[in-house]
Amino acid sequence: MSVVSAFLVPGSPLPMVKRDNPGWGALADAMEAAGERLRASKPDAILLYSTQWLAVLDELWQTRERSTGIHVDENWHEYGDLPFDIRADRELAEACVAAVSSAVVRSKHVDYDAFPIDTGTIIAKHFLVGDADIPFVICANNLYHDCDTTERIGRVAAAEAELLGRRIAVVGVGGLSGSFFRHEIDIAEDRIAEPGEDEWNRRILDLIAAADVDGLKAVWPDYAKEAKVDMGFKHMAFVLGALDDHYASAEVLGYGPLYGTGGAVVHLTPNA
Amino acid sequence: MADGQILAGYLAPHPPHLVYGENPPQNEPKSRGGWEQLRWAYERARATLDELKPDVLLVHSPHWITQQGHHFLGVKHLSGKSVDPIFPNLFRYSFELEVDIELAEACCAEARECGLTAKMMRNPNFRVDYGTITTLHMIRPQWDIPVVGISANNSPYYLKLDEGLEEMDRLGKATAEAIRKTGRRAVLLASNTLCHWHFHEEPEIPEDMSKEHPQDYDGYLWDMRIIDLLRRGKTDEAFELLPQFIQEAFAEVKSGAFTWMFSAMGYPNIPGELHGYGTVIGTGNAVMEWNLVKAGLAQAD
Repeated sequence: MSVVSAFLVPGSPLPMVKRDNPGWGALADAMEAAGERLRASKPDAILLYSTQWLAVLDELWQTRERSTGIHVDENWHEYGDLPFDIRADRELAEACVAAVSSAVVRSKHVDYDAFPIDTGTIIAKHFLVGDADIPFVICANNLYHDCDTTERIGRVAAAEAELLGRRIAVVGVGGLSGSFFRHEIDIAEDRIAEPGEDEWNRRILDLIAAADVDGLKAVWPDYAKEAKVDMGFKHMAFVLGALDDHYASAEVLGYGPLYGTGGAVVHLTPNA
Repeated sequence: MADGQILAGYLAPHPPHLVYGENPPQNEPKSRGGWEQLRWAYERARATLDELKPDVLLVHSPHWITQQGHHFLGVKHLSGKSVDPIFPNLFRYSFELEVDIELAEACCAEARECGLTAKMMRNPNFRVDYGTITTLHMIRPQWDIPVVGISANNSPYYLKLDEGLEEMDRLGKATAEAIRKTGRRAVLLASNTLCHWHFHEEPEIPEDMSKEHPQDYDGYLWDMRIIDLLRRGKTDEAFELLPQFIQEAFAEVKSGAFTWMFSAMGYPNIPGELHGYGTVIGTGNAVMEWNLVKAGLAQAD
């Protein structure tokens, strides 16, 4: 098994840019704890799928040797800059482009100066990797791919890592429930916007923590629809695909609101 | 100071392919042309804009998406390299633009007066979205007119459609009031495609026009129906059909720019000038103009 660890993390910048808000700070602490576990699993590379890197034509893979710059979030620009410095595992990324193209959907590599790396990827890299020099294989969320397609992409990518002898950590970046506050709130009073969505999130996290993949998949469509889940929970589908649909255990390291939406930090331990 | 006025509104879509096809020095990738009907449509629109001599261009772009309110560019000088995340092979554009801060702040204040959540974008490192840049380049490649950039709050997608478009209507009225109070002679740019059904794979040679066609026949028919109404000055009728058009043609006007622009102009039932129509990766794009000076609804300089 090439996957040595797997994680779900939220892509909101709020835990990074407003960590002094207690609720968001708790999620930041959880992501840092996830980072410690990720680095302890000693991966050669990180396979990352972010719901915020949107594609509409083909499946895109970041192959630029080093992506550096300053990103400013479209919505939370007042909280400052998001600097980033991300190195790619080009060999594995190119292998994924070829393998996913032949087995799932046409794929393309992306290797351009000043390419707009998305907020979710930057946040995940910041908390999970810090200054450690671990290369990434990053792929886009094609808006027209369903969970099944996304899961197959994750599975093929992990298989390519196995073929190349890579130990990989898999990271799905995205949110849980999607209802948010449209107007300014007292951020200290942030909460999950809809109580019903909070219940859904907790039920889903319990299923994930119990490693009950069948149970999770049984309620997935209802959860996605009723809790307005970020991109239909495709980031979880990607992680499950990479894990070949089973794992030994999982632990929820953090859960909380992000301007009304749900965010969770989850560590999944692959089967030995 | 005389009251400001809106001189014209343009439907000014933003496929980056049009910049790519034109080969301006600011764009890194080079092409062998393509999408000429739309690019030449923009040439006609450039000429009429030049005659109007506006003080400012206001553009509402669906590719600056915000969840908490309607945002306005609020940094005097913005520059950088804009790479389209969807078509990085076609659009890597070095831009510089000047913002009309006074008008932007007035728009923001009036939007709040109308009960909308609104805020200024003050971060100098902000990367202006490719929709704003493409529309501005195509309508005024000289970049010599200050701009007001407005985000697309995602209310039409998050709320019920009529609730979301009602917000865009209010945003339009707020914009018009800000223009009036600041004495600006303004042109509005609605950066929207019509039918938005598109290909799912890019042709090997993007500018190979033998591969370009409407993705969806019903969507094409919808575009022609809406354009025909707008050309005949049947604005009210077009807006009555707008929800059905949005639903059946997956029309990008859902994002609000079209409603914002017409609301600001007062939904005039005057014939729109069609400068041209064409498809880009299957989507329907029209460059159209509603000249309020020619219609006697605004005064020439």
